[in-house]
Amino acid sequence: MKAVVDYIRGPWCIAIYTWREGMRKKTLVGFLILSLLVIFGSNFMSSFLDPSSETDMELKLIKDICVTAIAIFGMLITVFISASVVPAEMDNKVIYTVLSKPVRRGQYLLGKFLGVQLIILINLALMGSLFFLALYARQHVLPTLLLWSIFLTYFSFLIVSAFTFAVSCASTSSVLPTIAGLFIYLTGTLTEYLNDVFTRSGQSGAFIDKLVGYMAWCLYNVLPNLARYDLKTQIVDRAVNDPPTDALIPWLVLMALVYALSGFLMAYIIFRRKEL
Amino acid sequence: MSVVIETKNLNKIYEGARRRQDLHALKDLNLSIPAGEIFGYLGPNGSGKTTTIKMLLSLIFPTSGEIRILGSKDISSAKVKRSIGYLPEGAYYPDFLRGEEILEYYGKLYGLTGKDLKRRVDAVIDVVGMSHARNRLLRGYSKGMRQRIGLAQALISDPQILILDEPTTGLDPIARKEIRDILAQLRDQGKTLLISSHELLEVELISDRVGILFEGVLQTMGTLNELLTEREFSIEVTGATEAALSRLAEKGISVEDRVGDKLKLRVAEGHSSYEALELCRAENLNLHSVAPRRETLEELFVRVVGAAEAKRRQAA
Repeated sequence: MKAVVDYIRGPWCIAIYTWREGMRKKTLVGFLILSLLVIFGSNFMSSFLDPSSETDMELKLIKDICVTAIAIFGMLITVFISASVVPAEMDNKVIYTVLSKPVRRGQYLLGKFLGVQLIILINLALMGSLFFLALYARQHVLPTLLLWSIFLTYFSFLIVSAFTFAVSCASTSSVLPTIAGLFIYLTGTLTEYLNDVFTRSGQSGAFIDKLVGYMAWCLYNVLPNLARYDLKTQIVDRAVNDPPTDALIPWLVLMALVYALSGFLMAYIIFRRKEL
Repeated sequence: MSVVIETKNLNKIYEGARRRQDLHALKDLNLSIPAGEIFGYLGPNGSGKTTTIKMLLSLIFPTSGEIRILGSKDISSAKVKRSIGYLPEGAYYPDFLRGEEILEYYGKLYGLTGKDLKRRVDAVIDVVGMSHARNRLLRGYSKGMRQRIGLAQALISDPQILILDEPTTGLDPIARKEIRDILAQLRDQGKTLLISSHELLEVELISDRVGILFEGVLQTMGTLNELLTEREFSIEVTGATEAALSRLAEKGISVEDRVGDKLKLRVAEGHSSYEALELCRAENLNLHSVAPRRETLEELFVRVVGAAEAKRRQAA
């Protein structure tokens, strides 16, 4: 137990430092303020609706805007921070002072990754809290579905964050990892279409058709499917205190942890012999 | 005296996209630095100083050769790293932290906690003379104060070895003197210091030994007494006319320094003192003193690097 505590002490210290520094990044703060404004402003925008329209239309609009704002700004924060923490320390040479201390490269990466997760979680909590309050103020019921949605959204961010972090360890600037992070997010949200490709393939009987179908099936099973972590339709269309349906939450969490571990291992393999 | 840092036939090649673009940054480097010594590691930009330091700290890896620190080959082990303090050149320290918080952060990375951490922070803040500004945010620090905090973070674990990259660059003369005094104190405490610097005067004032690197090759290494020769001498005179000085210059006696009427003449290697004095007497100069003249580190540096450069040009 003491060995574990000793091993984790350094990374935890790096994580707290990363979080404190990250929360001061202007781009990140900008995204956060913008998202909070959108969530706050959605109440105002709904007042422009035609009063004769359906009674729950106003609430649907608020929920739609807020969930979309959390997804978009949360993802931008995730990609931006995951792509920049390691290259920024290489650029300003802080990494030299840290790695010259008795801190293994794996410990350093673990600390940075934990720090990124703290930043993502805190930002998500801030955005989610405002949305939570907006819904609670209107309906006076506990929006449990929203809590589940935010919970799952974090795990989709965790997947994107881990792979973006891995790319950032191979790079000396944050530009390439940011582009890669957005690409990973887009790929993850479109994975469901690979299943469509697979189910429609093979109808002509041609070899190439079957091959494309097989490749689509392989990719569908390997790539993370971020659409599964999205409860937006349920939040917009159903009562806010309904339980989530069509989502095997423990399975999704487990898959996210496996993907995150894979991303982190990739980062470690890239970084362990990297020349700084 | 035990050897603290040792390299044997150390080579580093930075691989380019093609083989002919490879850069041989360090060639068969053999260093041996004993305990309790200040070693000045000199060389022009791109000569391989930072490459050596980065390899000692396991930030980059040798292409071939061996490094031993405190007798251990496993230089990335926690045990070895605990004995090293490092001050990089121009490192950034976050503006939003206080001086004390920076040191606590680095102290925790060494595994220091609680009272031990507080005791070490207090001690190093005191050593670098920053007690008055320990609770100030770094954004309010001057360049000299930042450098002191940098030195303090290198000292936080009370390391046996200190590796300092340009410790006095950009500092005013008083701050330089203070840093120099701190480094001398550390040497007196038995610590080993490896200082990489372009400030040759600073290095000359505090180093026990120096090594000069050029294009990855260690050109010379030794104590200052061994390296700085006394092959020339200087004569202090008054009452010289410009015509007399130009005649003396033709014979290898040049003006080195001038304070009012008093001139310090440098007599080039190859002249005997009697011959030089005879020439001064012939020009009716008033003689004040004759003294052997020791080469400065700057002159040695220019001579060694110049010779290496000429040799390279000849080979090309």
